[in-house]
Amino acid sequence: MIGDSPLAREFWEYGKSATCPIYDMHGHMGPYAAIYFPRAEAPDMVRTMDEAGVRLLIFSHHAALNSADLGNRPSIAAVRQFPDRLRAYCMVNPNYPEVAARDLETFDELFGEVYVGFKFLSDYHKRPLTDEGYRPAWEYADARGLLILAHTWGGSQYDGESVVRTVAEQYPNVKFLLGHSCHGAWDAAVQLALDFPNIYLELTAVFDDRGVIDKFVHEAGSDRMLFGTDLPWFDPHQAIGALLNADITDDDRHNICHRNAERLLKPIVPDLFG
Amino acid sequence: MEFFDCNAYFGLPAQRPLAPVGSAELLLAEMDHAGVDRALVWHIAQHDVAPQTGNAMLAEAIAPHQRLWGCWTMLPNQAREFPEPDELFRQMREAKVMAIRVFPDSHKFLLNEVSMGELLEAMSLRRVPLFLSVKRGMSWRGVYDVLAEFPDLTCVVCDHGCWGEDRLFRPFIERYPNVAVDTSQYLLDGGIEAFVTDYGARRMLYGSGFPESYFGGMMMAIKHAQIPLAAKEAIAHGNLARMIEEVQL
Repeated sequence: MIGDSPLAREFWEYGKSATCPIYDMHGHMGPYAAIYFPRAEAPDMVRTMDEAGVRLLIFSHHAALNSADLGNRPSIAAVRQFPDRLRAYCMVNPNYPEVAARDLETFDELFGEVYVGFKFLSDYHKRPLTDEGYRPAWEYADARGLLILAHTWGGSQYDGESVVRTVAEQYPNVKFLLGHSCHGAWDAAVQLALDFPNIYLELTAVFDDRGVIDKFVHEAGSDRMLFGTDLPWFDPHQAIGALLNADITDDDRHNICHRNAERLLKPIVPDLFG
Repeated sequence: MEFFDCNAYFGLPAQRPLAPVGSAELLLAEMDHAGVDRALVWHIAQHDVAPQTGNAMLAEAIAPHQRLWGCWTMLPNQAREFPEPDELFRQMREAKVMAIRVFPDSHKFLLNEVSMGELLEAMSLRRVPLFLSVKRGMSWRGVYDVLAEFPDLTCVVCDHGCWGEDRLFRPFIERYPNVAVDTSQYLLDGGIEAFVTDYGARRMLYGSGFPESYFGGMMMAIKHAQIPLAAKEAIAHGNLARMIEEVQL
């Protein structure tokens, strides 16, 4: 056994929980040159979700991240293939502001049906979160109180803790999901969550660092944390195992796995919540 | 399901981590909480201080504990800092030490026939496992180099990274039959299933990467991998138990 709580027993036995669905707030999709994915396409990813009790995945397709030629079209197609299990972030690459402008024009009509917010990947696009190319999306999201998931990494000049603080001060109405929680700059991530009520600590790649989940729960609070795996990168069962092994309560686990995500997503996709 | 961890350490690193585990007793308490039955462990002082210091600390710490086996660290022996292989293996047997791990990049040497040929040859013949961590003190190129010179070596490549390393380890899995990988940081969705489908279950060992990773993460991934129960049992504990049984110290 992996722990001694009711949730630990249930997840250990069945691989998923009837009372604790999971909302994975950080996913991708499709092949990627630098890594072999056994389960990269939507049907296989949904199979993984079924095995681990993941109710909904919010993702951005690898093509959307790295090919302005394809843009968000593969994400849109996948959501329409699995409308009960997938939603997408509208990817913004600030190196192609003309493409981002076109996506912004169609965002409203796809909001809810496909998109729940925006995704920024500053470290990879080599433009800081404060870059002019992001500004239209920040302003659009701030005016409407939308979700933005940004890749954040401790010490990065593009999306490290100091850049995050600058944009958090500038756009207080955005529901700002710190992808990877400023990975490695754990104290700074906690402080950002304490200073900005609209900031959430998203846990992709954090589950592999022992002690961080415990620290975030005890210092920032489990009501500010979101489950994420980069699926198809990381096995949700690995993340669940770490979550069950951490020194936190089942109530914290419910917050992280579904309650916080439900609070964010219900106004956007009410149909998915009955 | 029984778990026998091949990749855990204890002791206080020079650079304080978020959640250090300072003693064998604290390690065992964490193993009990997670449900890990046995572990092949090393002491961080083997890396951070010196193998001579850390090896002695490890031997003393695990001596009272039946659930812990040891893994010592070696260096090139041109300066005669360590016993010759026969005497080294005798000391290992007495100390319940069943494997060796080296950190060539951290400890400034080359892991090859010129530097360590006598020991590596003896380890190959007597099936003493060599543990290499590509997270700490070992490069992928170094792994390839030593396996090219010692293709019969029993070797476990650990900590191979969470960002997609199949294309780095699958080639030597296919070429060298006595090489295995551990699961620590093998977070890839569907990775265990794909590996077992392609290579069988004998070439993968449960390793947690504790205390830097939680025991429970990869336990859960193995427990619910889409592979036969016998394959899960082999990865969780059987392969390491067999590897230790085959050691001829």
